[in-house]
Amino acid sequence: MRHSLIVQLARLGDLLQTLPAITAIKSADPSLTLDLLCPAPLSPIGRMLPGITRVLEWDGLAWRQHGQEAGAGLHQEHLRDAERRISELSSERYDCAYVLNQHPRALLAGALLAREMKGPRLRGPLGEQLAPWASYVRDIAAIRRGCRVHLADAFCGLCGVYPPGKPVTISRSPLPLPPDLEPIAMQGGPWIGVIVGAGADERLVPIEVWRRWILEFMATAPAGRVVLVGQERERARYIQDQLPSSILGRLWDATGRTSLPELAEILGRCHAVIGADTGPLHLAAAVGTRVIGWYFARARVHETGPYGTDHLVWQAYNSEEGAASGQFGVQPTSWPVRETIDAVLTGRMQGLEGWSVWVGQCDRWGAYYGEAGRHPAPPREREDLWRELQPLQG
Amino acid sequence: MDYLNHNLESLQRTCSALAAAVKDASGGVLMLKESREGSVSAMCEGQWIHSAYDPCKEAKVWAEAQLREWQAGELAVVLGVGLLYHVEALAAVKPAGSRLAVVIPDVPILKDALRARPMGAWLNAVEWIWGTAPGMAEQLVSHSAALRVLTYAPAARLHAEVHRELEEWLRRSVAKRQGGQLHVAVVGPIYGGSLPIAKYVVTALEALGHRVSWIDHSLHRASYDAFGAYRDMRHRQAMQSRFAEVLSLSTITHLSEDPPDLVLAIAQAPLTLAVLEHLRKKKFLTAMWFVENYRHLTYWQQLAAGYDYWFVIQQAECHEAFKRAGARSVGYLPMAADPAVHRPLTLTDAERTEYGADLSFVGAGYPNRRALLPRWLSKDWSFKLWGNEWEGAADLAPVLQRSGARIDTEACMKVFNASAINLNLHSCGGDALDPQADFVNPRTFELAACGAFQVTDERALLPELFTDEEIVRFRRTEDVPALIRMWLDDPSGRRTVAEAARQRVLRQHTYGHRMKELLAAIGLRQPDRIGAILRGDRNAGALAVRAESAPEFSAMLRRFPSGQRVELKDVAADIRANGVGRALEREELLILLLDSYRAETRDLV
Repeated sequence: MRHSLIVQLARLGDLLQTLPAITAIKSADPSLTLDLLCPAPLSPIGRMLPGITRVLEWDGLAWRQHGQEAGAGLHQEHLRDAERRISELSSERYDCAYVLNQHPRALLAGALLAREMKGPRLRGPLGEQLAPWASYVRDIAAIRRGCRVHLADAFCGLCGVYPPGKPVTISRSPLPLPPDLEPIAMQGGPWIGVIVGAGADERLVPIEVWRRWILEFMATAPAGRVVLVGQERERARYIQDQLPSSILGRLWDATGRTSLPELAEILGRCHAVIGADTGPLHLAAAVGTRVIGWYFARARVHETGPYGTDHLVWQAYNSEEGAASGQFGVQPTSWPVRETIDAVLTGRMQGLEGWSVWVGQCDRWGAYYGEAGRHPAPPREREDLWRELQPLQG
Repeated sequence: MDYLNHNLESLQRTCSALAAAVKDASGGVLMLKESREGSVSAMCEGQWIHSAYDPCKEAKVWAEAQLREWQAGELAVVLGVGLLYHVEALAAVKPAGSRLAVVIPDVPILKDALRARPMGAWLNAVEWIWGTAPGMAEQLVSHSAALRVLTYAPAARLHAEVHRELEEWLRRSVAKRQGGQLHVAVVGPIYGGSLPIAKYVVTALEALGHRVSWIDHSLHRASYDAFGAYRDMRHRQAMQSRFAEVLSLSTITHLSEDPPDLVLAIAQAPLTLAVLEHLRKKKFLTAMWFVENYRHLTYWQQLAAGYDYWFVIQQAECHEAFKRAGARSVGYLPMAADPAVHRPLTLTDAERTEYGADLSFVGAGYPNRRALLPRWLSKDWSFKLWGNEWEGAADLAPVLQRSGARIDTEACMKVFNASAINLNLHSCGGDALDPQADFVNPRTFELAACGAFQVTDERALLPELFTDEEIVRFRRTEDVPALIRMWLDDPSGRRTVAEAARQRVLRQHTYGHRMKELLAAIGLRQPDRIGAILRGDRNAGALAVRAESAPEFSAMLRRFPSGQRVELKDVAADIRANGVGRALEREELLILLLDSYRAETRDLV
């Protein structure tokens, strides 16, 4: 029986985008034992991914400390310690490591933990030549080339497999929440999760906009409830400041005090979740909750839209150049507040100046987004790209 | 109970000479007292040497605190004897493979200790360092181990002077043995008298084989001056202060891109306290050579706590003042000369005519010089005055050269070489000799290095730098004319004195010597960092020998020249250069992995 390892050392969103690749690898070889190497803080989510047997926790902080000490004066003890750390992760080398990050340390970890490596570089950690899918991903990131293959599907390509052809959700068994959060989604509704933060400042939705969204939503849906989620407790507090006390009984603040499994539980209980392109947004999609994304700054729906069907994404674009130009690196001046509330409550989808609306779909070539109100024909360039980059199995 | 004889028997086994000296010594330095807990404690000069409550417990706490610094393999050198409770506690917790030495500055005090209480077997595990300061220094550096000086302050204060002298000799001994290559970032000023000194420091460090990053802020002089052109003084100060802050940040940026082992700032370097604190958080070592009179320029008060090491050109009161202001470590490091710049010149006749005189003075027009120099004008000798800021000095106008324009270093050297007698008068604000005449100015060393004859005002710190046979000095202004007359009549005597001074500079007072001393002082306090590098512990050859049990790692190291310093980043760079297209060894992968994290550690900006 072969033992393989998926190496994903990036952030929560990337880990969740790895789900289709895991599913596809396991489908291709059901007898394969597949483990996952991910950052230690994300390991609880790693354990929820279907198809993963064991999660190896990468302690980046300890490695950084170790690297700093070795940098201050190299001794052979540093190599011994490093070897010990690797051995503690796995006493035996894997047959194959699927490395999904281009960062050297992911490649090096893969090379240390496995005999064979599939990933972004063709000739080992020092090789200059990128694998075709890695070149594709790099070009997308570097020159903002138009893209219709989803990042999660590109991960499949990096692993040498085809997308699973359907959305995959993570296995979530009911988890008790802290007592004050336990009533979430137990009565009334709809319950909407609002992700208040983002990993980068340019992806933050202004506090005032969230405040307006909550007020309008609660005015339109008298039984509606909002749960604030994410790590940014301060932002959540600012959002709640100046909200009328009459609605505070319908607002739940879960920011900064939940573990990742608890966060998954809350997101899973919500009827819909709204937020920018963040890890929690992808976690919501992964637990099967309908997601409404506000994609702006450098976030692009076709690359990193929530994986699955029926998710909605409002994509900001530079209105002078138009949606078709694909120039999305913009900071919006207006926000689709009314429009997304309508979508949540009535299913009606409408655009707004500077924003286009997209609906998530999935077929044998992976996830794609079609523009709302148009015929949902899957974009042909994906199939062409798969045939070009992965011709032997096409 | 006769503890003394029992303890002496024990000491006899490891150090018979010391045991004999203790036997002959008088003792009685310490006053023994019973502690509250019942064990013996001691007092001296009205102060407790050990705890009045529980000396053993106190010693244990002290010893455990030392373990935070004391690394395996280092030789701990304990300063402070007392009743040796702290040594006993230290012996009980010493790291594996480490050794322990105790400095005995005064044998009678050891007799008191051996008489006061029974010592255990640990007594034989201690190396006893005693004798003269140079002898003790030699004993200590003859050990190949890194030295870690641990001071038990209550007892050490009794022999502060001996310890200071020992440290000075240690510094010299360590300086002689330096063999490793450091990376030193030298941060210079925007302008001013310390700018050339920063350049001499850079040259000296490079000549010693260290890698130097010269952060030259003089490039920004024009902008700094432009901000000084505003009419309102508040505007000028605000803009220049902000500009200095920007330069401070640019220094940090430079350091983050190429992290050095040591950041060495020269006086007036534009580094703010906030930046220095940030550097400390990021574990950069910082030092400042404050080549200024601390009484005149007082900005050090705001920065004292910022630098890890201060080096100053004054002693005693100056050191106390810096420590009161928060300085952690203050050392004496006098000025020096650069023999490549400050050198004897062969002058043409025309140059002799232009620059020469019986008596010359080069310098700015400080008040005491304006008051004193006119007294030394005479029809019996020619006098030339060079330098700037002499506006309004009517008495001196006839001898002022180039209308008081500033002269460059090359012209300065020509004046020194062409003049029969060079006056060297240290500046001060009054109308007489400097009443607080302690430090020795750079001019003293520069004139000496040129082989130029000088007559200088006496300084408290001059005798330990130059003898009377090397530099002629005066204590009273009224003695100067007679000195001039005497030495003008004795060209041969002038040559002898000047040559002796030059030889002294070449032996002991170049910037190379100073940098060796500065690095040795820091190395002594940082035996596992700067000290290890200076000893050559980080050189490829030494690392490879220590790595013999790991053949793959040893082979990687042997790809470098044996005497070359090798760090993680060097080994990683070598692997990257030679590893493309082949399967990497496991050790190589580990090196690259560690290096990928190392590269993240200095993200300062």
